[in-house]
Amino acid sequence: MTTTEVDDRGGGGRTDQGGRPGQGSRTDRPSEAQDQATRRGSLFWVWHVLRQNPLTALGAAMVLGLVLAALLAPWLAPFPGDGGVDVHPKSQLLAPSLEHPFGTDELGRDLFSRVVYGARISLFTGSLVIGLALLIGIPLGAAAGYLGGFVDEVIMRFVDIVLSFPPLLLATALAAMLGSSLVNAMIAVAVAWWPWYARIMRGQAVALRERGYVEAARAGGVGTLRILTRHIIANSLPPLIVQASMDFGSVILTSASLSFLGLGAQPPQPEWGLLISTGRTFFLTNWWYVTFPGLAILVTAVAFNLVGDGLREYLDPRLRSV
Amino acid sequence: MSLHRRRLAVVLSLALLVLSVAAAGCSQGAANQGTGTGGNSAPSTPQIAFYGATNDTMVFWDPSDSYSNEIIAMNNIYERLLQYDPATNQFTGVLAKEWQTSPDALTWTFTLREGVKFHSGNEMTAEAVKSSIERTMKRGNGAAFIWEAVKSIETDGKYKVIFHLSHPSPLDLVAASGYAAFIFDPTVAQKNGEDWFSKGNEAGTGAYMLESWQQGGDLVLKQFPDYWQGWSGKHFSKVVYKTVPEAATKRQMLEAGQLDFVEMLPFEQVEALKSSPNVTITTTPSFQNLMAFFNTQKKPLDNVKVRQALSYAFPYNVVVNDVMKNYAQQSRGPIPKGLWGHDDHLPQYTYDLDKAKQLLNDAGYPQGGFTLTMTYASGDENERRMAELYKAELAKLGITLELKGMPWEAQWDQGKATKPQDRQDIFVMYWWPDYANPYSFLYSLFHTEDKVLFNLGYYSNPQYDQLIDKANGLAATDRQQAIQLYGQAQELLLQDAPALFMYDQEYVRAMRSNFKGYTDNPAYPNVVFFYNTYRE
Repeated sequence: MTTTEVDDRGGGGRTDQGGRPGQGSRTDRPSEAQDQATRRGSLFWVWHVLRQNPLTALGAAMVLGLVLAALLAPWLAPFPGDGGVDVHPKSQLLAPSLEHPFGTDELGRDLFSRVVYGARISLFTGSLVIGLALLIGIPLGAAAGYLGGFVDEVIMRFVDIVLSFPPLLLATALAAMLGSSLVNAMIAVAVAWWPWYARIMRGQAVALRERGYVEAARAGGVGTLRILTRHIIANSLPPLIVQASMDFGSVILTSASLSFLGLGAQPPQPEWGLLISTGRTFFLTNWWYVTFPGLAILVTAVAFNLVGDGLREYLDPRLRSV
Repeated sequence: MSLHRRRLAVVLSLALLVLSVAAAGCSQGAANQGTGTGGNSAPSTPQIAFYGATNDTMVFWDPSDSYSNEIIAMNNIYERLLQYDPATNQFTGVLAKEWQTSPDALTWTFTLREGVKFHSGNEMTAEAVKSSIERTMKRGNGAAFIWEAVKSIETDGKYKVIFHLSHPSPLDLVAASGYAAFIFDPTVAQKNGEDWFSKGNEAGTGAYMLESWQQGGDLVLKQFPDYWQGWSGKHFSKVVYKTVPEAATKRQMLEAGQLDFVEMLPFEQVEALKSSPNVTITTTPSFQNLMAFFNTQKKPLDNVKVRQALSYAFPYNVVVNDVMKNYAQQSRGPIPKGLWGHDDHLPQYTYDLDKAKQLLNDAGYPQGGFTLTMTYASGDENERRMAELYKAELAKLGITLELKGMPWEAQWDQGKATKPQDRQDIFVMYWWPDYANPYSFLYSLFHTEDKVLFNLGYYSNPQYDQLIDKANGLAATDRQQAIQLYGQAQELLLQDAPALFMYDQEYVRAMRSNFKGYTDNPAYPNVVFFYNTYRE
């Protein structure tokens, strides 16, 4: 369940759960979570969460593995050139072996090297899209929630319009309009994604603007911009971080889908979705071609979901089992 | 909201895993089980033929405008005056019984077959032929330009049509064209409005007539009871065109007997199908070749030396062997092997990086150092693989090749962009002739154009234009002389290198072994004349 929406406007921002009661307790949460993190020391709670949650530990290990694979790609890949422009037409479509653990593709490139290099693209895509979506969503959501009234109406109605499209569909349409390239695909996904963050941010801002320290700041003559950045946004980060970490997997999956459709990465980029798209011609004759990139996407999506779950459990007091 | 999306993510990931495992499981042997619907849904009535096409069959419904995939169906619904067989260089009369030309090739007389009926019930007469061709010329869409030499059409009685030309032109080839030469009942269009055809109607004389069609779905044709050749003997009573974009699915349907004929399969699938007893693979030469047009108007490709260098950098043999699996051969000039006008003595560029480096050096780019974008049709595996191999070669010369797979319409639109700087550097495209005439290649692709259509290298050379125009005028009267002029024109092209001539490809057809009566005719690419076929 999401921990984050504060639905104080009846039908306005509808959610899956449909407005749960008990908002009072939730308005306390952001600062509480922060307090705990600082009180106990961050290393302590990382260790604590991991020990309590073997699944989270597993997810974290997988994420760590992916990051390492991406960083160390040139050393990890047996044929680093195959992640770029190299081709070896003479050794095409070889089955997995010691030399080529994942087999080779139709131009003789080592698929293991390509999948490892693909981790770079996927993690880069994920970070950039989430970063961009946060960058758009946070200011708009904060402004809507804190200022309220007309600004709120305009921004949130626009958010509702964007949210009424399924994200993959909207991203596909945008990417098709912008033209096929990895950068355009990332922009398209970010544009389809930011309203989620705007909505979370708005909920936080609505709850926080009545808090004593915000009112104190206002009474003390602190400017709106400063209040927004120093008090509202700074105190809303934990739920956003949870949401972002869980979205990471979905974003990578969506970008891979766009590349699969030919709207994202272009050959010879070793993007996983593109690898599956190319490999599907061979899936009756050369099983390894679609299998390993597919597993890579699966592992990534699962890993970030597990980590996100763990984070949420830690940051949401009602779910904590401690 | 987030829960929903997470569930989607997990479900999609799991679906991918299941797919991968399934693919692994049925990789060998088990493929015969077919797709989810099972092998038992094979045609239960033996007289329905199933054609498996990659793209949507019906793009244009109007027989005057037809210029795309629909010719595979159009040629069963409509007929032409003549049929051409390039293998023997012979014509057969279809709707015309006899035909002759005056010695100056300026007057052509066709005597029509009597008692031929349109699907609308009206009789096919000289008046109908005249109106059909005139309507096609007037609309001026698609391949209508093949009639450009026609000055006027005249009828003599009910069954004689006379064409008067403004300059000599091989009108027999034009009248036998797979595009823009269909004869239809013009009265229905006059009665029901100009766009009646485009709404999904037909009025041909062919063996099969429209039964049903759904946009994005199947096209179903049924026997036309009054067909002039009659229905004695073995024939299919219905023909179904199915659109199956996925090659793997097509292969499975073919093996399960759900398709009789498949127009094109990736070579890996072809190799795997060769061992199947129920499937026959045939290869025939085609008039189709692959070319890459260099933007001759834009730096650095406006320099002929750079274009020559790029022609020397292409790995011809590797592409033919390892991408095309030898179902192709390196082109010799733009005219494909088998079509008259092809010249076996023309020079060829070879893969020679040293020469390429030398030429780049002469052109002032000793280290390469520039970036080129190459557009190709997305979804075409052979084009993509070729492009990646080329990219690797150009990288060795210090040239960065950016590959852009695009839907054809978008690729073509960019090629025709009004501002030259918005256009691509290299444009990859197949070409096959509108009608079996080398002029179709040499004119459409390289003749100076005021408004860009298919001259996507934006090549302009008055000397070349003059040569091919003269040759075309001679084609009907002195073909040897015409061939010689076409040869000279092609030599000019090879020198100026406005395009990379990659390979002439063969058509690989996969069909059920009990599907009989099919012969491939490269003048009508991908067409199955279903009247001649039957199931054993």
